[in-house]
Order: sequence, then C-alpha cells, then structure tokens
Amino acid sequence: MKSKILAIAGGLLAATALASATAKAADVKIGLIGGVSGPIAAMAPAMIDAAQLAVQQVNEQGGILGGDKLVGVVGDSACNPQGGTDAATKAVNIEGVVGIVGPHCSGAVLAAAGSVTIPAGITVITPSGTSPEITGLKDNDTVFRTVPSDDYQGRALARTLKGMGYDKVAVSYINNDYGTGLANAFKSEFETQGGEIAGYAAHEDGKASYRSDLAELAKGGADTLVIFDYGDGTGLTILRQALENGFFEKFVGGDGMKSEAPIKELGAENLSTFVASSPVGEKSKSLDMFNEAFKASGGDPSAIFVTTSYDAAFLMALAIEKAGGDKAGVSAALREVSNGEGEPIMPGEWKKAKELIAAGTAIDYKGAAGDENFDANGDVPGTYALFKVAGDGFETITEMK
Amino acid sequence: MSILDFLNFYLIPGVVLGSIYALGAVGITLIFAILRYAHLAHGDLATLGAFLAFAVVTGFGLSPLAALPIAMILTAGVAVGIDKVFYEHLRERPKIVTVMASLGIALMVRSVVQVVWGVDAESYVRGIVRPENYFGLRIKDREIYTVVFMLALVGGLQLFLARSKWGKAMRAMSDNPNLALLSGIDNKKVVILTWVIAGGLCAASGVFLGINTELKSMMGWHMLLPMFAGAILGGVGRVEGAVLGGLIVGIAEELSVLVLPSEYKAAMAFAILLFMLLVRPTGLLRGKVL
Repeated sequence: MKSKILAIAGGLLAATALASATAKAADVKIGLIGGVSGPIAAMAPAMIDAAQLAVQQVNEQGGILGGDKLVGVVGDSACNPQGGTDAATKAVNIEGVVGIVGPHCSGAVLAAAGSVTIPAGITVITPSGTSPEITGLKDNDTVFRTVPSDDYQGRALARTLKGMGYDKVAVSYINNDYGTGLANAFKSEFETQGGEIAGYAAHEDGKASYRSDLAELAKGGADTLVIFDYGDGTGLTILRQALENGFFEKFVGGDGMKSEAPIKELGAENLSTFVASSPVGEKSKSLDMFNEAFKASGGDPSAIFVTTSYDAAFLMALAIEKAGGDKAGVSAALREVSNGEGEPIMPGEWKKAKELIAAGTAIDYKGAAGDENFDANGDVPGTYALFKVAGDGFETITEMK
Repeated sequence: MSILDFLNFYLIPGVVLGSIYALGAVGITLIFAILRYAHLAHGDLATLGAFLAFAVVTGFGLSPLAALPIAMILTAGVAVGIDKVFYEHLRERPKIVTVMASLGIALMVRSVVQVVWGVDAESYVRGIVRPENYFGLRIKDREIYTVVFMLALVGGLQLFLARSKWGKAMRAMSDNPNLALLSGIDNKKVVILTWVIAGGLCAASGVFLGINTELKSMMGWHMLLPMFAGAILGGVGRVEGAVLGGLIVGIAEELSVLVLPSEYKAAMAFAILLFMLLVRPTGLLRGKVL
C-alpha cells in the first residue's frame, strides 16, 4: 500500500517537473493577480481581460525577447492581505514569474509586496491599489502603480462635492487600507474647504446588518452619506440599508462604489441621488487605440480600471523586453520605457517598440489611462470624474479638479 | 435618542440578525450534542442553502419564502451526503480529525458555490423594500417572517425532540451513545436524522440572511463565528439555549455600536465567546456537553 502511494506521488512529481520544464523553455510568465473572488469580484474579470489583451497583442506581434510566448498567469488575491500574499507566493515561487501585474486591492498589494515581492526583488505594477500607504512603501523601487493615489482622489472628491453644494456629510468607510486612506484624505480636504463632517466611522466587512452603524452616522444630522467601500461587497449592503430605512437622502461613493452591482440589485430608479467618483482616461489617441482594441476583443472599455490594467501589463512587457528577461533589471527598465523621453509608443504598438528596443533607441510608453510617467515613488498623477446613474450604467457629471 | 429610534435602529435589527444566527446555532448545538464535534462547514452549508433557494427562485419564479422548504430539503440531502462520504469513516478516530475535515468541506462547499453561481452579489428580489410603520415601529414584512419562522422551526424541533420516538432517540444518543445502542436505538439513523435537521436549519438561516441582505459566496463563512458564539453562550447541547445565545449575540453586535467604534462590531461575537468560555464554559443554560 505504502509503496503504491509512493509510486503515485513519484509519478505525479515527475509529471509536474516535466510539465514545468517544457513550459520554462518557451514561456515568459507574468503574474496577473486580482481580486477574482471577494468584494471586487464583479470588477476583476474585465481588468484581467484588459491585461490579457496586452499579453495577446505581444504574442501576436512577434512575442517577447527571442520570440518567446508571454503568458499571463492569473492568481486570486481575494482582495485581502492573506489572499494577496498567497497568490504572490505562488506566482513567484511556483510559477516563476518575471513580474507581477496586480494585486488589485491596496491591502493585498501592501501585504504581497512586504512579504513576497520586495524580498524576492520582483517588480509589481498594481492597476488599482490606490491607498496612499503604497506611496511610502520601502520597496527598493519595485512597486509601481498605473492608478493615481487615493490621496488625490479623496481631495478632489472633497473639493468637487463642496463646489456642488454638499456642506454637511457623514462618512462611512471600510476598515482596510483602501477605505482608511481614501477617507482620511477626503476628511482633511473637506474640512479645509469649510465643509462639516457630521459622522465619521469605519465598518467591518461582511456583516449582515449595518443599521446601527448608519443610525450612529445619521445622528449628526447630515443628509449625505459618503461611502468608501466596494459596490459588490459591504458597500452594497450599506447603501441598501441606508436607502430602505431613509437614514440619508444623498449618497456619494468612491471608485470602489462605481460598480454595476448597486444598479443591478437596487435598481437605477432608487439611485437617482447616488454619485460616484472614478479615475478616467484623459482623452488621447492612446485611449482611442485601446478602446478600439478592447472592444474588438469583446471587452467594455468603460469598465473601471481596464485602462490602468492594460497599461500595467503592457508596461510590464516592455520592461521585460528592455531588461532582456532579467527580473532584477525589470524595475530600472520600467522607468526607462516610460520617463517621458524617447520615441512615443501607443497601446498595441508592440512590434514597433520591440524593434526600437532592439536598436537601442529610447522609447516612451503613452498609456491608455495617461502618460504613465512614474514619479520617484512609482506613482502617477491622475484625472477623475464624478458619475451619476443613468439608465443601467453610469454617466459623467463633471470632471474633478 | 428616543426610545423609538433605539427600537427601530438597534433592537429590531439585532433581533432579526439574532434570529438568523439562532437558526445556525441550533444546528451547531445539535451536531455538538449528538456527534460531539464542532462543525466548521456550517456557515458555508448555509451559503449553499441560500444559493439553492436562489436557483429555485430564478428557475421557477417562486418567492424566496416558497423556495425555502425546497432549499431546506436539498441542503438536508447534501448534509447527509457529506456525512456519508467524508465524516462517517472518521467516526472512530479522534474528533479533531473530523473538525479539520469539516474545515476542508467548508472550503469545498464555498468553491462549488463560487463555481456554479459566481462571486457576484445577488439578491432574491431586485430593488429595495421600505419598512412599514407600525405605531412608530418601522418593520419590514421579511423581518417579521424571519423571526416568526425561526420561532416556528425551533418550536417544532423542541416538540419533536420532547415528544416523538425519534426525538427521544436523539436525546438518548446525546446522553450516552453506547447505552442508546444497547437499548436498541439505531445510531446510524439518529446520525442521519441529525444531519437532516441541521442541514435544513442551516439552509433556513442562509435563506433568511439572503432575504434580509444579499447573497454572497462568503456570507455563511462570516456568520460562522457569531453562530458558534451563540451556541456556546446558550450552553452546548441545548436547543433553547442556542436560540437565546443567537439572539443575544445578534442584539449585542448591533448595540455595541452605541459604546464602541463601529469597526469593532465584528469583534463582539468573539468577545462574548471568550468571556463565556472564561467565566461559565457550560453556557447560560448549563449545556450538557461542555
């Protein structure tokens, strides 16, 4: 019996060893780590599709390095620190990825970077980890993001709301790195602008009832509730219970709340007073090129974070090409391919970029979400807009400055 | 804060939440009493029940309440099946082995739910329902159903345990399995019966959580700790204790916001659990097992 088990185990080991040996010869792997399950599950598929589009374009236009195939290995961070660490460990140690696009949520990024990728020297580009905490990470220049920090979003949202006549609001935020970072930035700017925060409380994810939380927040007398949470998760429960019980009249969400789930579950007719902010691509030729390509591959270009996901994956591919496949050189190469100097490369122009890199010419990637020129902390500046619910989707009200 | 505000926004939500916890806690306490182990897959079994009801609601256009009995029967069947396939051959081994196995089952059940129904939040009925006003008390119909159904189910279970032949057999086995066997009680049938009841109650708690909020693949897992806290608080092995414990945990969670920052709400169940285990491990009603 024992020898039989040993034989089976040995056979399995040999099979997996063979499989990974053949895979290594021809594939360059990058990790695509996202919140496939968990509170942003509804957003994650489009984001991963956008990243896979970049991978597909690379493979269609001659492949990476010496004609190798670029493979995006999808991992699930479940949008939490443990999940992020597990997925990153698997990507780095088992899959042997050269770089990671993701994880999607700030907490997962911080945990995965701190315990896995920084020690391993793997470069990480997150398309949606927006917490201000990521800016200050001691990362040996290996953690980048193609999405602007929430410090900026929180402040821009505060200014825009104040400008639109919201004077007294209550804030309810999810108790994680994303919610805390965004809420703090919002609060400090809203108060600086002369607005009043009449309630300010964190809430824990995944509880069945938030009515007592909402009642506490409503005590301050504000008619507007600002929710920094995820629209597929607890944010939906809070929005539902606030609407049903009439605690507040108007609702404002951050980028996490700009999800289809509230519209689908609560009905657009109930969300006439709901607005949400979200990063938007500045109108550019790059954005048009991405939109066209993503539409052609069956994706929805207006879905949240697809442009940043695409840019992150395409930049990763460019950096790997530039670094010659050496994972230690990816972060330096990443800065070289998008520092604002050199021949501009648009989304999808992989063949051109590959030729220029081979010829030793400097290139500069102009991304779909913006120019993606990283600052010293690996952050990018951003543009935001405020959206309202219209029909079964979102419609822009105003740009946020 | 007026007394009406207190009732509307703190006590009533607490009672509704507590009823949902109570349904799960009763199942946990029954399994503890008869099979003598902590069943960690209980929360995810509740998720499965909720999604089975969702399938009935979307597939046949029934109302969630009409789908409830079907979901209860299906989940009971699944629970019996899980016991047959995974737990039965571990029966003679140390109990901790089964506890660990049930953790594995929890992950498997959740994954099945995620594969079949996806990971998006769903709801039985689209749109929102504003509460009715009863002399200043703002209560939704579904909240009344939740509490009434919980009381009816548990009342029925109590009657069954106290009066019927099989109920007595279950109690006998809970007191002393070997003696029960000697006096001619078929232990295997009692085990199946236990799983049928626990599975059905599990599904009910999942469906009511789904009716009152949304359906998410992690919904049951998040309920596991409060349900265990309720079962232990009331006294393990005592059905009426589990109901009392579940209600207390639910109400305590909602009331905690009055004195604690709201991010500590989730810690309330944990605090109750620790406190009870320290001060009175037998529970409020003096459980039979611990």
